[in-house]
Amino acid sequence: MKDDQLILEMNNISKSFSGVKALDDVSISCKKGSVHALVGENGAGKSTLIKILSGAQRPDKGTICFKGKNYESFSTREALNFGISVIYQELALVSEMSVVENIFLGREIRRTVGIIDSARMRQEANRLLEQMGIKINVKREVGELSVAYQQMVEISKALSRNADLIVMDEPSAILAGHELEQLFRIIQSLKDNGVTIIYISHRLEEVFRIADEVTVLKDGQHVVTRSMEGLTRAELVSAMVGRKLEEVFPKSESKVGERILEAYGISTDTILQKVNLKLHRGEIVGLAGMVGSGRTELARALFGADKLTSGEIKLMGERVEFSSPADAIRKKISLVPEDRKQQGLFTALPIKNNITLPILKKVSRWFLLNRKMESSLVESSKKQLSISMASEHLDVQFLSGGNQQKVVLAKWLHTKPEVIIMDEPTRGVDVGAKFEIYQLMRRLTEEGIAILMISSELPEILGLSDRILVMSEGRIVVELEHAEASEEKIIEYATMGESKAA
Amino acid sequence: MTPKSNFLQKHSLILVVYSLVFVLITVGSIYSERFLTLRNLTNVLRQAAYLGTAALGEMLVILTAGIDLSIGSLVKLSVLVSAILMDGNPDNVMMAVGLTLALGLGVGLLHAFFINELNLSPFVVTFASLFILQGISLTITTKPIGRSSKDFLLLYSQKFLEVPIIVYFFGLVTLLVAFLLNMTVFGKHVYAVGGNLTVAELSGIPVKKIRYGVYGICSLLAAVTGLLWLMRMGVGDPVIGKELELNAIIAVVIGGTSLFGGRGTVTGVIGGVLLLTFTDNLLVVLGVNQFVSGLVKGLIFVAAVALYKPSESFQRATA
Repeated sequence: MKDDQLILEMNNISKSFSGVKALDDVSISCKKGSVHALVGENGAGKSTLIKILSGAQRPDKGTICFKGKNYESFSTREALNFGISVIYQELALVSEMSVVENIFLGREIRRTVGIIDSARMRQEANRLLEQMGIKINVKREVGELSVAYQQMVEISKALSRNADLIVMDEPSAILAGHELEQLFRIIQSLKDNGVTIIYISHRLEEVFRIADEVTVLKDGQHVVTRSMEGLTRAELVSAMVGRKLEEVFPKSESKVGERILEAYGISTDTILQKVNLKLHRGEIVGLAGMVGSGRTELARALFGADKLTSGEIKLMGERVEFSSPADAIRKKISLVPEDRKQQGLFTALPIKNNITLPILKKVSRWFLLNRKMESSLVESSKKQLSISMASEHLDVQFLSGGNQQKVVLAKWLHTKPEVIIMDEPTRGVDVGAKFEIYQLMRRLTEEGIAILMISSELPEILGLSDRILVMSEGRIVVELEHAEASEEKIIEYATMGESKAA
Repeated sequence: MTPKSNFLQKHSLILVVYSLVFVLITVGSIYSERFLTLRNLTNVLRQAAYLGTAALGEMLVILTAGIDLSIGSLVKLSVLVSAILMDGNPDNVMMAVGLTLALGLGVGLLHAFFINELNLSPFVVTFASLFILQGISLTITTKPIGRSSKDFLLLYSQKFLEVPIIVYFFGLVTLLVAFLLNMTVFGKHVYAVGGNLTVAELSGIPVKKIRYGVYGICSLLAAVTGLLWLMRMGVGDPVIGKELELNAIIAVVIGGTSLFGGRGTVTGVIGGVLLLTFTDNLLVVLGVNQFVSGLVKGLIFVAAVALYKPSESFQRATA
């Protein structure tokens, strides 16, 4: 498909890492001023393709044609100069520095040799931000901005380099619902200005919202590229996973049992206000709401991480007071945190140590670790959760997002929890691993465990929860049964009390 | 995300440090008539120049999330080398000053070389350097050695408008460092390297050059401090420089500079230097046992870091 309008053509790209094919004869082309979605599971080759496009890696085979010129490969610096900017999920910003300093980092406008022209830099930064229709004081420190605004700073950074092609790697993963709208608005205005966007996302509803075309990769191979017109969600999902959509969310077969965890009018110093909650054995309760609505705070309060200022928590009918998470863990409550790299794992330690850390007492005798017992526990986790790992001695940081999340789960399952609080259980996890995690959650409830799941992904909330609680401004505003819930209803309630935008 | 408390949150520590300096001056003037005299105050400022010059260099290094533990030893070696080279002869002054500064710069560049090219941690490199430089000094001599030229020695007591010229000199160094950090590309890159190394590299910042810069300047300023000591003592005394690096680090940190890099201001560091110097001076004026001074400094240090923590975690949480 030759077209004058094509800004980018990557032809027959192959790339192997120590014999393993990451990309096998993949071709992709993007029309100027369009939004091209790139989807596929982790390990499908998306990131390798992007790394080649950004100049971070050179392909073994294939050519790249950008703005009509052919290249075998190029360096990151050259890519930037050509007008290709990549916005990674981990934002490339220095949080201690101001907005304007970040936008021009490494390309400061100079008055004379080595001396900065702050006035012109500020002027230019203001112009760029205005162009995107956002107002930020450019002197503010980036670390003080919300992630959504930080992302916009990244986008203006790309614009300041006159980027013609902006690659956004999972931009929505860090955004809440209303922030997403702003991103879409900006993408639209970029499009209108002739900028081409490659949009990578796990969230298919976004792809349907924003993309003009979509390319699906699987196992390093090109599956399909087509226009979004007439494409159905089911078609796209089956292209990605080779599995039908109905199978993604396992049916609830567990019986709801006795009350296990109850909260009456709990408040904390944070935004939590008089929250009531009941959790029964064998159910998954979804906790929906915008970021900042108090979902995470509720989890922290139930887990003993934040002190209650009023109200009480009952566990199996008995009043309990947790003065720290350690108390909660002893009472068989587990929290799988939202940010696994920061709060859930020791990324520089081997898988084995991560899994057995909370149960070292169990696998040791007289202060000495029983290595065999440790290994057999790890082995059983590996089977139970189908963690794919070369060796239990591998550092966790080398695992994919999905496998890392399974390691976190494995760790907590060994403490034999009765209540598991999961904060964004499938964030940054590919579709295949997501499916496995959903199944595992179902299986756990069938064993009588109660799960409280916090999630920003509404399909996940709707597909998996037996009951749904919607939070807004520190309160639970509504409880919906599985059958009566819909995306529209949840959003309506979640935004009900919203008086001020972030 | 709370813009209103922004300024206070960011600068609260600096305000606290300067208020403490003010409290010390008030207390001092109540307890001793001699304290609030022009003579004593300018004297304290002159003393502050010694710690301050070294601390400004240390600050640059800490801003890049590095550390230089060797500056005390380097000050010691610089005093000895300059005293030996000068040997009381006015004709040797330029040569001695030049070579001492070159020695300082050389040591700093060497630190950066080991950190950059051999991938060693700044802590390890400069910790080793602390002992190596000290070893060299104590091999040269354990007793005072060499002599300053008379003119050079006189610079210490020379005054302009009642204020010692060393104070003006220190003011100049302060302005230069402030200029470097706030107005130049180099300065912005120093903050970037300390704030987020990966981002700095991805943004095409010449990280290695920045390290050569900060370690070079830090050691150069240590050599300058050595020369200031020669001005004061007149001889090369190997006692000089003891624990200077620790005092410098304390001054930098109580001035609000993050030990993790990327955050800190010259105003804050000068506040930290003044606080430590006034504390020392006040204890002397009050006739308190000098060993108490260490205790007091330690307490101030812990208090400062504890005060710093809320804003630090505030940053991390929203990062």
